Amino acid sequence: MTAKEKRENMSDMEKEGVSRRSVIKGSLAGAGAIATSTVLGTAGASKASAAAKKQTVSVGSNQSDPAPRKNDQAWVAAATAAGFNVKLNTVDHNTFQNQISSYLQGTPDNVFTWFAGYRMQFFAKKGLATSINDVWAKIGSQFTAGYKNASKGLDGKYYFVPTTWYPWAVMYRKSVFAAAGVDASKIITWDDFLAACKKLQAAGLTPIALGDKGGWEAMGTFDFINFRTNGFQFHMDLTAGRAKWTDPRVQKTFANWATMFPYQNKDVLDLDWQAAATLVLQKKAGMQVMGAFHASIYTDPADLADLALFPFPQIDPKYGREAVEAPIDGYMLSTSAAKNASASKGLAAFIGSTAYGNAVLKVSPTSLFSNSNMPKPTNEFALSQVKLVQSCKYIAQFFDRDSRPDFASPIFANALQKYLGGGDPVAIAKDLQAQWDALPPA
Amino acid sequence: MSNSTKVAEATGRKARRGRKNAFTSKDRAVIAGLVGGPTLLHIVFVWLPAIATILLSFCQWDGIGGINNITWVGFKNFTQIWTLYADFKVALRNNVLWLLVFGLIATPLGVILAYYIDKNLKGTKFYQTAFYMPLILSLAVTGIVWDYIFRVNGLVNSLLGKDTTHAIAFFGDPHKNIWVVLGIASWRHIGYMMLLYLAGMKSVDPSLREASAIDGAGEWYTFRKVIFPSLRPVNVIVVVVTIIEALRAFDLVYIINRGKNGLQVLAVAVYENILGESARIGWGAALATILFLLCLGPIMVYLYQNFKRID
Repeated sequence: MTAKEKRENMSDMEKEGVSRRSVIKGSLAGAGAIATSTVLGTAGASKASAAAKKQTVSVGSNQSDPAPRKNDQAWVAAATAAGFNVKLNTVDHNTFQNQISSYLQGTPDNVFTWFAGYRMQFFAKKGLATSINDVWAKIGSQFTAGYKNASKGLDGKYYFVPTTWYPWAVMYRKSVFAAAGVDASKIITWDDFLAACKKLQAAGLTPIALGDKGGWEAMGTFDFINFRTNGFQFHMDLTAGRAKWTDPRVQKTFANWATMFPYQNKDVLDLDWQAAATLVLQKKAGMQVMGAFHASIYTDPADLADLALFPFPQIDPKYGREAVEAPIDGYMLSTSAAKNASASKGLAAFIGSTAYGNAVLKVSPTSLFSNSNMPKPTNEFALSQVKLVQSCKYIAQFFDRDSRPDFASPIFANALQKYLGGGDPVAIAKDLQAQWDALPPA
Repeated sequence: MSNSTKVAEATGRKARRGRKNAFTSKDRAVIAGLVGGPTLLHIVFVWLPAIATILLSFCQWDGIGGINNITWVGFKNFTQIWTLYADFKVALRNNVLWLLVFGLIATPLGVILAYYIDKNLKGTKFYQTAFYMPLILSLAVTGIVWDYIFRVNGLVNSLLGKDTTHAIAFFGDPHKNIWVVLGIASWRHIGYMMLLYLAGMKSVDPSLREASAIDGAGEWYTFRKVIFPSLRPVNVIVVVVTIIEALRAFDLVYIINRGKNGLQVLAVAVYENILGESARIGWGAALATILFLLCLGPIMVYLYQNFKRID
């Protein structure tokens, strides 16, 4: 499974002056929850002219892990059947991510996998992407306003075709909770949560599985505790640098997080997310705060049917459980798409259509699609994700999407590891602010 | 300066001049080609990038667009690396530890192994192969293999019967991981050093040993006072290799955890800062410049000292 970027996400809405609320509506519709029942089928694809279809379109993909690779192969097969001439270049995930700058400046594929949000806007601003307003003229009716906004660059032009999304929540196995006498639907407050941890511990389990070997995995937990402790707005201010890390509210977040530590596995910094998720799968641990891609390690359908999620519990009643993280994945056109513009844009329209979604749905039934015309998911786990996002007032990205990439991945990831390794939160916060201040102007 | 050296120098000069005159213009063209070609390649592929790196270390740049997008910031990258970048001191400490462990433990062990293997003990061929084996694998492969052995759900923890939640954190514990990695690196380095010394010892004139034995020197004394000093060319190579191997350490750390959790080394820090979409080219170049100077300094001093003595 694409570990790191499975959680990449939506746009930095504030820069566009779009309210968070409209984005939420977008995500909801995208989930298929408020989807109309009309299925437009290959609307996008059928509009591509016959001549354009004959030109080869190369697609650069970072989906090198087996499960997402299967999704790629499925939609490429569908596109080929629809008359497109697609050449799929799958590159090792980390290599693709690391070399994205030089890749886009060199001889990039016409279409490439990417993420809505800061990352998309960054490359659009640098002139390394082709705007696709004409594609959106075709597919626009199939997306809600939230998705439209999430697909625009800072210049107001479209650069991104959203395909799938997923939320973050607390993942657990129903049978494990039942055996320990824990009712997930009753876990509302932090006290409820800690009480559940105690019960799981009494049942001989590690209540919370956490792996932070890569440094990014624990950002999800940090984000949630910060939402719940200080509210969504403070979190967004903090990630964007408007609030200071030396603010005492940051210490409150760290202090609340520390109350989870007695219920956590010890070797947090030695486990990646898959190893931590495996503990839940093997019924050694009770739960994991993770993206819905947690499910990708469940290969046995019986195990998958046992998997469920509940929203991250409330800490301060003032903020309830009003915020959630739900990133969006999709595709962009590189500058090389100018050479075969009609074919590349035709394929982009195909990717935006339900033809893409239906092809992927066949191999990956738990995927959630951005296209409003995709049928409502039937899978229970997928439905619970839609319901979770519906119940929230605010949708965030993931930390490394809401913040500057040169802060999030090298600096903040290291700081979290230091904190999880027993570092002093006051010193860590002070250091974080000093390093933020030293960054060049964005 | 003694008279004899003066004479030697004078004849040397004369001899050189004489030889030069003997070259035809064709010879000179061939020599110019043979010397100039590699020199040109060396300048283009080694020195120009090195100089460019040093220049870039004085800038802020995200690596996108032309040179006009570069902001020059003077020594700011260097001062900030020193004052703010906690990872730098960790990396520096680890590289120094690497150098000390290689220099004080791994290399001497390699010498000792070479010494015993050179004595043609029973099973010498087997030992020789066994110790040399790690060198056949690239460090990246070595890293993957040892990662599987020491990771939380790896071989060692399985043999100890520890499941993932109670496993020994070989790589996650900042107090432990550098020593585990140094052990792995030494495992490979010892074989390398052994090979270099073994080759050197084989080339030592056996009559030296005999003469020393006849004079009544013990085995160990012979080694220290006769064999080892005659291995000076090998020693130069070994010192240089040890310094470079220690300072350029990258593969193992990158494979194991990309320099997280107190396992950072300078080369990985350079890589992590320059690559990726949030590239901090200037910052990474400044780190690379520091690494370059660290490598260059001791090696230049050592080589200068050595060749001065030989001359």
